[in-house]
Amino acid sequence: MSKFKKFFYSQKAAPYVFVLPFILSFAFFWIYPLCSTIVMSFQNITATGTEWVGLDNFIKLTKDTVFHTAILNSFEYMILTLVLLIPFPMLFAVLMDSRLVKAKGFWKACLYLPALTSVVISGTLFRLMFSEYSTGQMNLITSALGLGTFKWLKMKATGLAALLIVCCWRWTGVNMLYFISGLKAIDTSLYESADIDGASAWQKFRYVTIPLLKPTTIYVLTISVYAGLAMFMESYMLWAGPDSPNNIGLTIVGYLYKRGIAKNQLGYGSAVGIVLLVIALAINIVQLVLNGTFKKEED
Amino acid sequence: MAKRSSVNDKVEGGMRAKRNVLTVLATGWFAILSLIIVFPLFAGLIASFRPGTELIRKGLSIDLDFSTMTLANYTYLFGGNADSQKYFMWFKNSLILTFVSVVLTLIVCYIVAYGLSMYNYKLKNFLFFLVIATMMVPFEILILPLYKEMISLNLIDTTAGVVLPGICGASTIFFFRQYMTGLPKELLDAGRIDGATEYGICFKIMMPITKPAFAAMSILCAMGAWNNVLWPMLVYRSAEKFTLPIGLNTLLTPYGNNYDVLIAGSMFGIIPVFVVFLCFQRYFIDGMTAGAVKG
Amino acid sequence: MKKKVLATLLSVAMVSSVLAGCGSSDSSSTGDAAAETTDDAATDDAAAEESTDEAAAEEEEIPTSTFGDPNGTHLEMWTFVELHGQHYGNMVELWNEQNPDRTIEITCTTYPYSDMHTKLLTSLTAGTGAPDICDVEIGQYPNVVAGLDTWLVPLDDYAAPYMDTMVQARMDVYAGSDGHYYGAPYHVGAFVMYYNVAAMSEAMGLTQDEVIAKIDSVVTWDDYAALGQEYVDAIATEGKYWTSVDTGGVDWQWIAMAEYGEDWTGGFDGTANVQLDSVKTMLTMEQDWLNTGLAEVSPDGHVDLEAGFQNILDHNIVSFPKAMWYMSRFTNYMPEESGNWYIAKCPVFEEGQICSVGVGGTGTVVTQQSANQELAAEFLCWAKMSEEGEQLIWDNLGFDVCNTALWNDDAFAHDDSNQYNQFFINYPYDVLYEIKDDIGTIYTVAISPTINEQMCNVTLNDILENGMDVDEALQAAQDVVDLEQ
Repeated sequence: MSKFKKFFYSQKAAPYVFVLPFILSFAFFWIYPLCSTIVMSFQNITATGTEWVGLDNFIKLTKDTVFHTAILNSFEYMILTLVLLIPFPMLFAVLMDSRLVKAKGFWKACLYLPALTSVVISGTLFRLMFSEYSTGQMNLITSALGLGTFKWLKMKATGLAALLIVCCWRWTGVNMLYFISGLKAIDTSLYESADIDGASAWQKFRYVTIPLLKPTTIYVLTISVYAGLAMFMESYMLWAGPDSPNNIGLTIVGYLYKRGIAKNQLGYGSAVGIVLLVIALAINIVQLVLNGTFKKEED
Repeated sequence: MAKRSSVNDKVEGGMRAKRNVLTVLATGWFAILSLIIVFPLFAGLIASFRPGTELIRKGLSIDLDFSTMTLANYTYLFGGNADSQKYFMWFKNSLILTFVSVVLTLIVCYIVAYGLSMYNYKLKNFLFFLVIATMMVPFEILILPLYKEMISLNLIDTTAGVVLPGICGASTIFFFRQYMTGLPKELLDAGRIDGATEYGICFKIMMPITKPAFAAMSILCAMGAWNNVLWPMLVYRSAEKFTLPIGLNTLLTPYGNNYDVLIAGSMFGIIPVFVVFLCFQRYFIDGMTAGAVKG
Repeated sequence: MKKKVLATLLSVAMVSSVLAGCGSSDSSSTGDAAAETTDDAATDDAAAEESTDEAAAEEEEIPTSTFGDPNGTHLEMWTFVELHGQHYGNMVELWNEQNPDRTIEITCTTYPYSDMHTKLLTSLTAGTGAPDICDVEIGQYPNVVAGLDTWLVPLDDYAAPYMDTMVQARMDVYAGSDGHYYGAPYHVGAFVMYYNVAAMSEAMGLTQDEVIAKIDSVVTWDDYAALGQEYVDAIATEGKYWTSVDTGGVDWQWIAMAEYGEDWTGGFDGTANVQLDSVKTMLTMEQDWLNTGLAEVSPDGHVDLEAGFQNILDHNIVSFPKAMWYMSRFTNYMPEESGNWYIAKCPVFEEGQICSVGVGGTGTVVTQQSANQELAAEFLCWAKMSEEGEQLIWDNLGFDVCNTALWNDDAFAHDDSNQYNQFFINYPYDVLYEIKDDIGTIYTVAISPTINEQMCNVTLNDILENGMDVDEALQAAQDVVDLEQ
């Protein structure tokens, strides 16, 4: 008993005790369901029984034009969110961190407000705002600008724009706060020595801020890639369901939801999930390896 | 700063003028940005003072027509009638669920992250890789098997069933781990010399130092728990356990939406998270500082 | 600590003051207008409060969603429309009076629409967790009825006492592929034409009776289009149309198929084929109307959405075909239109065709997981098909009930205290009785969701919004449908 106790308290065993909750949760709530999903992707599961169908589900996916649309949409959305939600929040953060801005706390709270709002609420608000009817806010704005009215949620370009607007609305503030926290970690003496060297504001930003913000940028990039690929609720609330005209709002997870949950085609839905899993893992591993997150700490 | 030669004063004055202009510009920019961002919520707020039929009539219009504005939605919401009782039941459930899941998630994630950052051992990087891996699998693909599992574990319709699968939130572990990697390890050795056990060090020495990270994560976790819909919806079976987003969602049906309660209830539902945010905002920024996100 | 609390309070105060600031600055500019309308506003407010109180009082009679005798057999019921649950509540009280030896207590839970169906499917698949009785929306019905008698209880025996007066077509819609009935219907959902007589008579300079005479003489779609042209020429205003065609619903295609006696699902045994002549004829006609300015595309896809209600309120369209249950949208969302609208039967392509089809609906099922299947099934069929049940369905839910015996029952159909009888110029059940034998059926089978989805998401948009060739678009749709069968 005391031997066990001694082992339990040893420096060798301690880390494993600490990570035990994770291992348990990983096994029960991740590996097991994940394996079930993989198994189901090779099956055809109906109300009356389950049969093995080999690669049929995946072969069907290669012919399924709706699925191709979903993949394309998810990629477009992900890439555009990266373009919009990394550089701009970074610039805003630098500006906010400078001594030029008054009443910082208030602006930060305002910018953060959307992230505190449930998608159920914000989706409903934006759906009403993007109404194709002439009293919809967005149409009031565009007609005030002399652009006429749009059927926002019916056309590919405007539909994507609507999604991106909702996304930027929700996440600009959050990403900005991430960058602000990164900026706070930068040693101010670096800027002082840059000043002494006569560096311009742009040079300071380019050669001090950006390189030293890299860890934050990687973090934001990682979560953005994942969030972009797995986006679903935004589109679900904007179109009041998983369906949209010409599938302009359909994403990979949306398709998985439609097949696996709404239509109860567990096998086919699982196959969609597996494709998403492979894509997400591939992108993120490449990205993390390139950025050296796994390299041994040298301290 | 205090002592400057008079020659520099003129230059300094010009600089100050330029600086003032920049200050106005920068502050103005954030004012505009904030206005744009707050606008939809403001429109929603206005809408909450209108009868539901007005919303259908004019859409989310912000023209402040006081003749049609009324507190009826709110008096109805707080009126103690059946709808109002339901609403506050949802509200209470959401508060409880949020509190329970935030507390449990933070403690468990802290412990795990501690194990992943404070020691050097063989499996460390592998385990960390697993954490990242869980982050990359969309939760939706696990829902069906998980749901069956909850039934066989008898956790259906329980708060445990809602909270447990998410208790090891990968991003929370990731954040804590990043934060703690930046802390000096000498503290551990100092603690050991003082005769503290590994567990004592974890809870008594390191935990207080990690307070800012706790504050930061409490906001993110509270946000997630407060707004989570999909999973609680599947697990909770009885109507008296519904949380706010589920409840609000029940008001939207293909047979007519109950906008009166929906919009007023939604607006009121934003308040708690906002209050938490305002309370912890300071920590939130601080917590993410101090080398928080060292990739 | 004190400082922090103070800071928080200050921030809250700031937010509220800013919001208040917005309000006050605007109020000063609209001050005059506000002052002018103060009296009106005050009365409006009083009225609003009154109605709120009334609503509250009504609500308080049913404080919980559990109804009936606490000592009776307990039944669980799921729905996605709260009013439906209340219907069962009312019916349980009546049942307990009539059957004191077999009393029931029922708990009705209202879930969000898609979540309820998801939850039902997962519990049925998992073999545990499903309720005794559950509402299923027709679009989702094929997914549920796929389980046949492993999931659901056949209702044939329990429905038998009411079958001779029920609309057969509506029972068939909820049948499984084995021919048994698994769902009990709420309504026929008979497709009819709604006309805004007031707006038409104003624009065309005719009396109300003259307009109604013109409407009554419409037999074919050509007649309908001609009358529309007359209206459009008379009003000659941009943005004013005769009707609106749907991109977010297949109602128009359904009526076309019913008139020609076709069905794109192919029924339970056939294969689905969307390239039907009836569908092509209808789509081509709709395209023509769009080109000639007779019709517009329904804002947001169909008339049963907020934008659709607004469009009707603004008199941008003055006629449209829709199921009978759309009546409740008028009373709920467009009360000021009271007295303006007239219900008539739908036009046909060729004289002699049937002129209606049952659209939409909710079938209520009893699951095999129920511990009291017999009682649940007997109660359900009674609550939805008996005369007592149908009376409450009509009064409270405003559905065109499936019990044909009631359609020409004067006390039922011509009750002037009924809100729908008050709202419309004519009695809705008179129209229904007239088309009694003209109500067709489009089956709802496993492939139906795929067809509807493809039509509403892609095909109808391509044809009506983007002007794509009808044959081309239908071929693309057929390819997608073929992948699933």
